[in-house]
Amino acid sequence: MLKTDKLTKKFKDTLAVDNVSLELRKGESVGLLGPNGAGKSTAIAMISTLLKPSSGDVRIHGKSVLKDPGDMRRVLGVVPQKIALYEELSAYENLKFFGRLYGLSGKKLEQRIGYVLDLVGLSDRKKELVKHYSGGMQRRVNLAAAMMHEPEVLIMDEPTVGIDPQSRNHLLETIRRLNHEEGMTVLYTSHYMEEVEKLCDRVYIMDRGKVIAEGTKEELKAILSDQETVWIEFDQSYPELFKKLSEIEGVQHADVEERSLKLMIPKGMRLLASLFHEAERHGAQVTNVHVQTPTLEDVFLRLTGRTLRD
Amino acid sequence: MKAVFLLQWRRFYRQPLLVLAMFVLTIIFVSVSAAGGEEEPVFVPVYTESLKQEQVLEWVERLNAEKQFAFKWMQPSEARSYVAEGDVPQAVELMEADYRLLVGREDPARLALDSMLRRVYSEELRLEDAAQEVPEIRELMDSALSDPALQLSAASLQGKGEADKLQLLFGMTLFFVIYTIMFSLVRIVDEKRTGTWNRMILSPVRKWQMYLGHLSFSFLIGFSQIALIFLLFRYAFGFEMGDRFWLLLAIAACYTFSIVALGLMIISLIAKPQQLSAVIPIVATGMAMVGGAFWPIELVTNEILLTVSKVLPITYGLEALTSVAVYGNGLQSVMMPLAMLLGFGGICMAIAIRLLEWRSVS
Repeated sequence: MLKTDKLTKKFKDTLAVDNVSLELRKGESVGLLGPNGAGKSTAIAMISTLLKPSSGDVRIHGKSVLKDPGDMRRVLGVVPQKIALYEELSAYENLKFFGRLYGLSGKKLEQRIGYVLDLVGLSDRKKELVKHYSGGMQRRVNLAAAMMHEPEVLIMDEPTVGIDPQSRNHLLETIRRLNHEEGMTVLYTSHYMEEVEKLCDRVYIMDRGKVIAEGTKEELKAILSDQETVWIEFDQSYPELFKKLSEIEGVQHADVEERSLKLMIPKGMRLLASLFHEAERHGAQVTNVHVQTPTLEDVFLRLTGRTLRD
Repeated sequence: MKAVFLLQWRRFYRQPLLVLAMFVLTIIFVSVSAAGGEEEPVFVPVYTESLKQEQVLEWVERLNAEKQFAFKWMQPSEARSYVAEGDVPQAVELMEADYRLLVGREDPARLALDSMLRRVYSEELRLEDAAQEVPEIRELMDSALSDPALQLSAASLQGKGEADKLQLLFGMTLFFVIYTIMFSLVRIVDEKRTGTWNRMILSPVRKWQMYLGHLSFSFLIGFSQIALIFLLFRYAFGFEMGDRFWLLLAIAACYTFSIVALGLMIISLIAKPQQLSAVIPIVATGMAMVGGAFWPIELVTNEILLTVSKVLPITYGLEALTSVAVYGNGLQSVMMPLAMLLGFGGICMAIAIRLLEWRSVS
């Protein structure tokens, strides 16, 4: 349905997006995962025809959108990272304006406004000015505005940045419903691994402008099928002990926090005996040990050597 | 385009303060300055040592017929006391065929007072001489003056007359409307910053329609401000603006167009709202000072400033408005300033569109 072919964007000497090829099939939910500065927003801007690529192509239903972006714009609903609303107007007035831009009027416009307000759960507060809304409510109107023209594809650029957990859950649930119940195709970018894991069927992982891995969540996690993660919590911080444990033969990666340590080790490696032995030698008390299967975060760590929040 | 245009009115409805402030400021500035321009007649004590009461009263009535000074008869000691204590700079002693000025201190009005007294005395003495030959000369003269063969009226841009008040009204109106128009155009920059502009780009609305929606709103709000102020001062404050009010509105429309185009050009050069907030007052005040909004351009003698004023729309706007309202000229005589306003607007618009297009492509 939507395909990018070796999409590249260069700003002076900076290569923001480097040969990115993505594909979205009808009705699926695709995640674009990467840390800040990975090039996700630039890629989204090119896909949504707001930014001209330096090279490469974007196709919708097999037709290039570079010369005539009209086809793409008709089917696309874009939820920008910034809250792109008129804050001195009410949610209702904002939606009315964005609906009018797409030629909606009269009863149809009113029905559509009612539908999207219901969808984001703001029907009873539609007359309030956007500037009086909480950050989460503003994010919900931001999504509603992109839904006014019944788009086939919804592109969301980090739509949950800076909002409270309750609004975040509401927003994620709305997106999940749109995808599962209404069959809307979704391209979801985020640097929150858990959001992408929860919402998306397939994932592209981007770093430094490039797609470094792609596949279903299971396929990506299979990269680490020979590994497991051990998370150990102590009663307090033991820098020397943490260093010693990180250097145990076989440990592939160590992530040190204040009172805890996360070690990536080969599956089947006997770590616990050495762990308790070293802890006793340092007089440290282990309060919790948890062995877990790899997450997308671990995959990213393995592929880039960095965490998503680095 | 219609949706973008209507949106601006909705936003204006929610945040009308700036436009209303400019509207009210124009009214306050013009009202206060015009009221300050009404000069009170200068008080001048009059006394005599030799004339009879009836003679003095006749002279005082004759002198007070001139509106510039207010003469009041009093006892010599009282008049001298006024001068001695510095309450008035001078007093006048009336005599049979002459007058004498009792001066306490220097006063810029003395020359005018002396000149007026000399004229009134000369006329009166000449009439008295003539009355000896033709006794009914005074009746003949009054009759001739009541039905003159020719009426001569004089108008000047200097002094505090109607022309001066109109100059003030036009200057302040054209000055404050620059703010209204340019700050309404800043919304374009603001929309680009907040991302609503991109939302519009992603809709079927074309970019030129988006600009047209904004520009037509700015034009209409600016033009309405000028038109309402002109109407207010004409009908509520009694300003005499001549018989061609429609032509004043046509000039206002051309001027508004040129300022909208200038505003768009500035926006195409400066992309940050904070910078625009600093640049707009500089542009507006600079244009108003050099273009003759604060004082008549005729008072400017500096060649450089006069040359600069030739490329400012406010100069041509004021020239055209003054020509029609003060001198009663018609369309023919303001064709040149109108052409300059439209030409200026056209050039600014062309530059702005090129720059905006270049910026969006790069």
